[in-house]
Amino acid sequence: MNEKKLLLVDDEEAIVRVLSISLKSDGYNVIPAHSGQEGLELFEKNIPPIVLTDIKMPGMDGLELLRRIKNTNPDTEVIVITGHGDMDSAIEALRYGASDFINKPVRDEALAIALKRAREKIAIRNQLTAYTNDLEHMCQIATEEVRRKSDFQDKLITSSNDGIVATDENGDIVTFNPGAEMIFGYSRLEVVRKMKFDDLYPEEIAEEFRSGFRRKRDMKGWGWKEVAILNKNGMKVPVRFSGTLLYEKDTVIGSVGFFQDLREIKRLQQELVNSERLAAIGQTVARLAHYIKNILTGLKGGTYIVNIGLDKNDEDKLRTGWSMVQRNIERVSYLVMDLLTYSKERDPDYQNCYPNDIAEDVCELMEGKATQNQISLIRDFDHAIGELCMDPDAIHRCLLNFVSNAIDACLFDLDLEKKWEVRVKTEYVNDSAVKFEVSDNGSGMTSEVKEKLFTAFFSTKGGKGTGLGLLVTQKLVHEHGGKIEVTSEPGRGSTFTMILPFRKNAK
Amino acid sequence: MAKKILTVDDDPDIIAFVKTVLEENGYAPIIARNGEAGLAMVRQEKPALVILDVLMPKQSGIRMYREMRYDEELKNIPVVVLSGIAKRTFLRSQEALTEFGDQPVPEPDAYIEKPVEPEELAEVIKKFVS
Repeated sequence: MNEKKLLLVDDEEAIVRVLSISLKSDGYNVIPAHSGQEGLELFEKNIPPIVLTDIKMPGMDGLELLRRIKNTNPDTEVIVITGHGDMDSAIEALRYGASDFINKPVRDEALAIALKRAREKIAIRNQLTAYTNDLEHMCQIATEEVRRKSDFQDKLITSSNDGIVATDENGDIVTFNPGAEMIFGYSRLEVVRKMKFDDLYPEEIAEEFRSGFRRKRDMKGWGWKEVAILNKNGMKVPVRFSGTLLYEKDTVIGSVGFFQDLREIKRLQQELVNSERLAAIGQTVARLAHYIKNILTGLKGGTYIVNIGLDKNDEDKLRTGWSMVQRNIERVSYLVMDLLTYSKERDPDYQNCYPNDIAEDVCELMEGKATQNQISLIRDFDHAIGELCMDPDAIHRCLLNFVSNAIDACLFDLDLEKKWEVRVKTEYVNDSAVKFEVSDNGSGMTSEVKEKLFTAFFSTKGGKGTGLGLLVTQKLVHEHGGKIEVTSEPGRGSTFTMILPFRKNAK
Repeated sequence: MAKKILTVDDDPDIIAFVKTVLEENGYAPIIARNGEAGLAMVRQEKPALVILDVLMPKQSGIRMYREMRYDEELKNIPVVVLSGIAKRTFLRSQEALTEFGDQPVPEPDAYIEKPVEPEELAEVIKKFVS
């Protein structure tokens, strides 16, 4: 009801009465006053939103009342009533902030319009106030939200394990999180606003940023890559780095770099490599020890028999024992040779030679063992192969290994009905390569065995294999620029093939 | 008459060595080069003792040992395993076969890991063959 309060001030009692009736009938709660002084008192008591006052009054006149009211309550709508033709007072009143003026004699329509305007102004002002308040409230909420978000992002950056380094558009560092402190060894205070990215980043990265800043064009960020940075102490720290320029619309506003500390990972990797190497060495040593133990057994047995032969002057025993000693010395020398070949880089020793003769020599060497075990050794040589420039030693060792494996494969075969054979084949492939193929119809291999064929110290021959033979063969073949192929079927046998290139210009 | 002792091994060095040790100690050595031939020879010759290698082509010592222990006629012939394989590995493989449903077999009478000294071998044999 407050809005409908209206202070009516006039020194003429009749006017106050008449206007009051008319205003009350319009729904106003009229507070009548008969002088400026009384009007002011009643105003201060009731604070009506609308004041209707005569100007010409004895004592405090309407203008003074208006001035006082506007002074304390500037939002009050004050309508002044002026005498007919008293334009000066009207203008003066407007200057003091009156909302409107009406002339005497007061006509109802004029009054109604003035009041309506006043009410509208009040309504608009109220709305404006509400809007303003609302706006301030919204603004507060938004500010709070922004602050929370920024806090949140700060925390994100701060709590990241990755080092985060951000610069402004000039390359000055503005963000340097604890992760970055850990990696670079500088504190935030030493860096922020004091260093540029050039001072921290390794040259290859700094250069990319520099050129990005120069071009100011769209530039793709860099995916992760491994680099080493120099920390405060001048130590190299391996990191994974990724970074990008920051844009607002098309303008570069800065850059950011992410750094992941790889020291721990590198250390673990190294540890893993070390422990794997140790395990491999352990395994190697165990297998070698086992193999050497077998040789030692042979040597000991040989010397024991030799001693008995000496004691009894038994030439038979002497021969048996001595050949055992010799055989085992040979095994040691093969082992050492294999180990050396396996562990050292070696260039093929190219010489003019007859590959078929080498194959024949290998067959002759293995003939005894084959015959002894009812295995036929079949030679299938291509006579188109003449004198070629190759490494005869390498060929000899590889073929010997193939044939000796093939015979073992027959010995390990469980199918005693089979008529075992080992076939040694040579073939002139073309003007640059010769193929050697050794196939057997022995035990064959399961796919698991096949997979491990070229693994160091893998052997299926119990204590009788070094687990080096094929590995050495493969190495020799590769060094000779050739390739090695294996096919096998359990129970059916295996075929080992090597294709070796030869040199055209035999010297 | 000298007692027959069977050596089953595929390594000619071991055969030559064991054969000499046996001869030196007054036994009559007989030889087989794999488990299958060994089993046939045990049946045929009924030796006083068997010296058995483990890893051999054709039939391993692991299998031959079981076959002997299943056979009523052969189960009491003492077996000395002479192998580069550790004793526990041999026993484990025997256990594994038992787990897969074979009849359990007792441990071999003696187990010697290679390399062996001639005296040690002779002593072990003497325990079983007087």
